[in-house]
Amino acid sequence: MKLSLFGVGDAGTRLVDKLLQAEVETGRNFTDGNVLAFNTAAEAFGETDTLPEERQILIGDTHSAVNQYVEPDADGPDTDTASATSRDHSPGVAGDPELGAEVADDELPEIRRALDLVDDTEVDAAMVVAGFGGGTGCGVGSVLLEELKSIYEIPVYVLGALPAADESDERAHTAARAVRTFVPLADAVLPVDNDAWARSTQPLTEQYDEINEMVATRMLSLFAAGESDPATVSEMRIDPADVMRTLAVGGLSSIGHASIEVDTSDEGLLARLMQLLGLAEETPDTQTDAATIKRLVRSALNSKLTLPCDIESTDRVLVILSGPPSDISRKGFETGRYLLEEETGTVEVLAGDEPLPNASEITATVLFSNVTDVPRIDELQERAVAYQREQDADTAVIDTATSIEGATAVAADASTAAPDDESDHPFEFHGTEEQQENGDAHGGDTVSPDADASDESTATDTPDGDATDGSAADTSADSDTATEDGDATTAAATSSDEHE
Amino acid sequence: MKLATIGVGNAGSKVIDRMVEFEQATGRDLCRHTLVINTARTDLAKPEHVPEDRRLLIGETHQKAKGHGVGGDAAIGAEVAQTEIDDIRRIFDDVEIHEVDAILVAAGLGGGTGSGAAPVVIEELQKMYDEPVYGLGMLPGKYEGGRPALNAARSLQSFVNKVDNFIAFDNDAWRSRGQTIEEGYEDMNRELATRIVTLLAAGEVDESEVGENAMDSSDIMRTMEVGGVSSIGYASTGVDTPDDGLLSRFSEEEVSNMESTDAAKIKGLVRRAVNSRLTVPCDVASAERALIIFAGPPSEISRKGVESARDWLEQETETVDVLAGDDPRTDSDTLAAVVLLSNVTDTPRIKEIQDQAVDAQDTIQQQEAVREEEIESLITDDDNDLDPIV
Ligand SMILES: Nc1nc2c(ncn2[C@@H]2O[C@H](COP(=O)(O)OP(=O)(O)OP(=O)(O)O)[C@@H](O)[C@H]2O)c(=O)[nH]1
Ligand SMILES: Nc1nc2c(ncn2[C@@H]2O[C@H](COP(=O)(O)OP(=O)(O)OP(=O)(O)O)[C@@H](O)[C@H]2O)c(=O)[nH]1
Ligand SMILES: [Mg+2]
Repeated sequence: MKLSLFGVGDAGTRLVDKLLQAEVETGRNFTDGNVLAFNTAAEAFGETDTLPEERQILIGDTHSAVNQYVEPDADGPDTDTASATSRDHSPGVAGDPELGAEVADDELPEIRRALDLVDDTEVDAAMVVAGFGGGTGCGVGSVLLEELKSIYEIPVYVLGALPAADESDERAHTAARAVRTFVPLADAVLPVDNDAWARSTQPLTEQYDEINEMVATRMLSLFAAGESDPATVSEMRIDPADVMRTLAVGGLSSIGHASIEVDTSDEGLLARLMQLLGLAEETPDTQTDAATIKRLVRSALNSKLTLPCDIESTDRVLVILSGPPSDISRKGFETGRYLLEEETGTVEVLAGDEPLPNASEITATVLFSNVTDVPRIDELQERAVAYQREQDADTAVIDTATSIEGATAVAADASTAAPDDESDHPFEFHGTEEQQENGDAHGGDTVSPDADASDESTATDTPDGDATDGSAADTSADSDTATEDGDATTAAATSSDEHE
Repeated sequence: MKLATIGVGNAGSKVIDRMVEFEQATGRDLCRHTLVINTARTDLAKPEHVPEDRRLLIGETHQKAKGHGVGGDAAIGAEVAQTEIDDIRRIFDDVEIHEVDAILVAAGLGGGTGSGAAPVVIEELQKMYDEPVYGLGMLPGKYEGGRPALNAARSLQSFVNKVDNFIAFDNDAWRSRGQTIEEGYEDMNRELATRIVTLLAAGEVDESEVGENAMDSSDIMRTMEVGGVSSIGYASTGVDTPDDGLLSRFSEEEVSNMESTDAAKIKGLVRRAVNSRLTVPCDVASAERALIIFAGPPSEISRKGVESARDWLEQETETVDVLAGDDPRTDSDTLAAVVLLSNVTDTPRIKEIQDQAVDAQDTIQQQEAVREEEIESLITDDDNDLDPIV
């Protein structure tokens, strides 16, 4: 099937780049060039090999809270001043998803312009690719996902990395919230568990390339099956509708993968020749073939999954066998398919093949859609909650004076409903440029995103009147609509001020 | 008989294509009109004997199909056909229906397009024409799993209710071991095409040298009019072609030598047809009506043999409604006996599919019932402390 890819943040950019490389290497053209990458820091853009430069969109570089080296000839003169005042050592949104979301909101016009480069009528689905734990990946990713869902009729999926155990609690917190945000919005979410795939002996950052390659292999086997040229007509071809129907149940999905060498030994060739000549009709050889294929499917089922999970909790399954069609036993194919039904307990198991006449191996790729028993997610949530409580406690202690002001600000904000009025409000932590930023960027963007964003920042960063435990949920309940946007900026500004 | 044939979905289209191939190869002229309907553009390109303008893509504008099939979702298959029923009707405009005796709609019942769209098409055809509409359905194999079984069980019900007769083909019974994916369904599609064309092409020649023993289209239709599910048996034997010059004289001699054993040969052929693999395995005794057609050179068909074969089948089927007749094919190098067992009620495979479907439906319903809840509980922490970003 055809997919458009939208990388967000460093992880997203690198993964998309890797997917494009795999596209070239395997000759499976599944994006038709419908790709984009968004980042708040130009860093990862420098690392790309295949992703065209004009498809790499830098956003937030004019935002005061975003740390970005500003290109000499970029933008207005006031920008420089703004970013210069609040720059710290870490690039981009420095891991802050609230800031990421805010930047994306502010730059929606820019994002929308970029989206015009991608033709959604040419593809079957869109995919947002991001590091779940990234301030950009999660924050910008959320806004982008929401935007894509509102403008596209095609399904929008999310592919991304979950932070490893040795990454910061903040990343875990962000990732847990990303899951919480992406799943209800997206048509399906495919997380990759960095922890499961990393080897403890090396720093994670040095293993990204390897992990990304692993992801690319699986993604292409699944989504780009049958897109190679020249396309051979397959008897049990997977239609895009098959993949889409499997993913249509939503939730989190996981992928298993295994391959075997095709028997190219003289013996194997002879046996096949005999069969071809009708000299051996039902050789024990074909029997072995069926068993081999079934074994292959079993290894895919038992392989390390992109997201380790209990496969019995899956909702729908899809299996694709890629390889020389003359080597894939039909009985093996059928029993392999049935094995999946037996092992997972679901009756929705679609199976298909991708004929690759010259391939030297047969691979089985299994998609487990909507898996609900995923220990890693529970772990992330536990860490995230502990971290959030810690943050709440800290903030409550640190500042009591501003909290009253903060509370007042919220109350005042709540009285004004129209988003356009925001820029007129004197927020104590705002610089003039920032207010203009907000005003500029606001051309009719949805306000609801910011409500929660603000609640969150209220709970974690802003010294707020009721910033005691559990207040976040409470505040979100009364959802102070429009004006929260300004408040979020306040919070972000505060937090980055505190860094200094 | 003269037919208008319609293949719906991938399997249905392929089988129709094979039928045309077989009739062309054997000089028959059964399929006067062919049409294939599919939701998948790539599948529509497969038939080799169906003219381009007789291939109809439906669901191109449907959000979930878009020319890519319906992913085994029969509800969408049905929906799409319903939405585009006008296009489907329109393609029948140039079908001179008085030129055909009946309409045959073929589909694989395990997928989404065939099982969902075909019953919609049939319903429309029944409204449009007085001619009988027959169904030809490929039953999914056990190992295709629960979803295809559920599609098939549901679709079978619609088919049988709507058609004048439903001919079933059991993929499991016809599966052979050594096949690779590449070979796919080719062999069994040819076997099926041979049976269905040999059966229905009888009586296509009106102006006849054919004589009183010839089977008439109306005989076939009478056998089928009881409705229900039918199964076809088939057996053939080689005969020497008359136009082989010297050799043929020798053969004629040989044939005449064997004349005494001809009756036994004919009866043996029918026994073989019934006792070998039927299109859908069934208890022969459960058939309501039956019919035997002998297709081949008339000189090969012994009247005595025909009579004893008919008597034998009457006993087997425990019915007196057995018709027997010829489809004279003077130039044919084979003599075939094809047996139609009409309205067989004891078909174990259909029972199995229904049981598998009931289980599948339970599983699907259970999954649906908890789906949203399980997703929700996975993505939220225990106390719902974590907020979404947007
Ligand atoms: N698998 C994989 N994971 C990555 C890669 N790069 C980063 N990650 C993970 O993704 C998460 C987010 O990191 P980044 O992508 O650098 O963050 P970002 O989205 O750019 O946002 P910032 O926090 O603003 O830098 C972290 O948990 C990383 O471990 C990558 O190339 N591959
Ligand atoms: N006998 C026979 N059966 C087939 C063939 N192809 C598929 N089938 C069977 O038919 C069922 C339906 O498959 P398809 O015809 O490909 O499905 P479809 O009707 O096109 O529907 P979707 O692919 O879901 O859009 C399968 O479950 C198989 O059991 C074939 O060539 N011959
Ligand atoms: Mg199909």
